[in-house]
Amino acid sequence: MMQPSKTATLKTIFSDVLANMAFMFNDDDDLALSEPEVTWLETAIGYRGPWSGELTLWCTRGFAVLLSANLLGVDPRDDDAQSKSEDAVKEFMNIICGQLVTAIHGSEQVFDLTIPVIQELAGPPAFTEVDDPNLATLCIEGNPVQLCYTPGDAAGGD
Amino acid sequence: MSHDVLIVDDSATIRQMVKKTMEMAGLNVRNVYEASNGIEALAQLADHDVAVMMVDINMPTMNGVQLLTRIKENQRLQDIPIVIASTEGSQKRIEQLSDLGAYGYVRKPFQPEQLRDVLKPLVGVKDDAAIEDGNAQDDLF
Repeated sequence: MMQPSKTATLKTIFSDVLANMAFMFNDDDDLALSEPEVTWLETAIGYRGPWSGELTLWCTRGFAVLLSANLLGVDPRDDDAQSKSEDAVKEFMNIICGQLVTAIHGSEQVFDLTIPVIQELAGPPAFTEVDDPNLATLCIEGNPVQLCYTPGDAAGGD
Repeated sequence: MSHDVLIVDDSATIRQMVKKTMEMAGLNVRNVYEASNGIEALAQLADHDVAVMMVDINMPTMNGVQLLTRIKENQRLQDIPIVIASTEGSQKRIEQLSDLGAYGYVRKPFQPEQLRDVLKPLVGVKDDAAIEDGNAQDDLF
């Protein structure tokens, strides 16, 4: 049986958390996905419990620094914004994953989240525009981001 | 009288945000100690007496549930009020934390007013608090 699309859920959670936490907003500008000089980050987090799943975010270093600056209430050129940019994205993913688990599986079960892992990519990620039901692509204040949900197995399957 | 607080969260960003929020909220806080996991928190508690702890759940080495359990087993530490600040949305987990002795729970992302409402009964506020009173939280879970 085909699973229902998670794209709208991913977009809503991502946008709401970003707006509430960092006063950053999704805009409808065309995405500039292939700027070669931009540094890209990949952040992954998972959850385990009665069901499991993974969540991966691809974003630019510019997005990470902007997020960090907004969370800390400092200028993006501030040393703190630069040095804490990866930490900010990891914590953001932790919050997104917590919200997503509740949205998908409800609040009756207990899930454990994994510690988020972030890495710098050698080049731009292979962003895709295909109609993937577990993928959300957004543009946050000029910065393209893509969020991918990968459902896992039921209990004991991981 | 000012109070000392220990923030336990593996995110330096969150620790800094919480410190800033406590300042902005005018909470009556003197020293803010930090730890990035449960083991570091226990080390801080060996050196400092604190009036309240804010504890994340999802941390490496020793997570928030393990830390809460350890503290409630320790006669010297068991009366320190522990506020859990986490992304957890599971009602069962929140009940589990309450059963283990947590004082309150704030779900991330939280607003400054929520943080103040849960900490205010524990540390009080200074006279010139910047954030206006929100609705008092009778039920901290």
